[in-house]
Amino acid sequence: MALHLNLYHEVVKAKALQRRDPLKLSMYGLAAVVACFAGYYATQLLKLHSINTELGKVRAEFAKLEPDAKIAKKREEELNSQMKAGDLIVKRVENRFYWAPMLEQIMQVVPREVQVTRLVGDLTGDGLRRCQISLDGLSAGADPRKVAEDLRTAIAEKFSPTYKTVTSKFRSLEDGTEMVMLDGKQVPTAIFAINVEFFSGEEKAAQPVRKGKK
Amino acid sequence: MKLGKEEVQKIVLGTLICFGVVYSYFNLLLGPLSKRHAALEKSLVALGPEIAAAKAQIKKTQDIEASAPGRMATTRQVVAMIPEGSPVAWFPPRVSDFFKKQGLEKATTKLNSEVVDKEMAGFRRMSWGIDLPKVGFVPFATAIAALENEEPLVEINNLQIDTTREDVEMQHALLTVSNIVKQ
Repeated sequence: MALHLNLYHEVVKAKALQRRDPLKLSMYGLAAVVACFAGYYATQLLKLHSINTELGKVRAEFAKLEPDAKIAKKREEELNSQMKAGDLIVKRVENRFYWAPMLEQIMQVVPREVQVTRLVGDLTGDGLRRCQISLDGLSAGADPRKVAEDLRTAIAEKFSPTYKTVTSKFRSLEDGTEMVMLDGKQVPTAIFAINVEFFSGEEKAAQPVRKGKK
Repeated sequence: MKLGKEEVQKIVLGTLICFGVVYSYFNLLLGPLSKRHAALEKSLVALGPEIAAAKAQIKKTQDIEASAPGRMATTRQVVAMIPEGSPVAWFPPRVSDFFKKQGLEKATTKLNSEVVDKEMAGFRRMSWGIDLPKVGFVPFATAIAALENEEPLVEINNLQIDTTREDVEMQHALLTVSNIVKQ
């Protein structure tokens, strides 16, 4: 085997040293890291751009929708108010108290021995209506007080199937000073005042109670 | 391998530059970018429910508008029953004509009060006093029945019938009625 002598070993060593220069290697490493950072930054920038574009579109959509939504809300309130008023009117019309049937019932129970001199009816309340009737008159007969009492009870009995909580009470019942002619006979009289009270219609539905925030 | 003084200086300088670059990258570039990204995303997320709510509102109103004609048919009928103009001008003659038609002359109508009901938007209630000085009980009761049937917007709140001294067959009637009119 032939012997080789490397007379340039110093040159080769210097070249190897230059190749493995740590500063140079670290600069390469740093450049790679910077490149990665720049790439990541560029990606983030792109993401930001895309989200910005998306936000712009969403904002434009909202800017277009918001006035329409406001108009819609106003319109909804207006329509609801109109419909509520309409429903209320219909309800009021349907829940009216009819006086004619009540007058007819009074006519049916007043006997020929009684003359009604004054009739006052008063209606109060919404929904469940309270009706007060005051009936003043003159009763005649062998026992005029009984005639008046019969009328009082007859009114209560007649009204009970139609109305709620019917009460019929005498406000006054006094013997009359005058005698009247009934069936060809002179009979005594009594002066009475009857108060009739009853309820009609349905009670208003209670408003749902909103729970307050704690 | 032994490092020379100059090389050590270079390495220290390089490390310092490296730290500087990393710090600047995260604090001056990536930091604000991330903050802006988060802010934009927050705005985007916040707008989502608002858009959904706006769309829901528009849809709800459209649904109500679609169902309104059917629900408001009765209201339109009611409105059609109310004459135009001031009620003081048309209601008293209307009542007089009505009772005249029923055979009861001399009905006098006067306005008592006026109530604006907040629940009935676009309408108000007017209270009137109707005086019928000479009526027979049966024709009066018949007229009341007709009034209640023909005038659905009128309700009798108070009724008073008194016998008259001059004529025992005739009564003096007073009615307090309320009717719904346009606002």
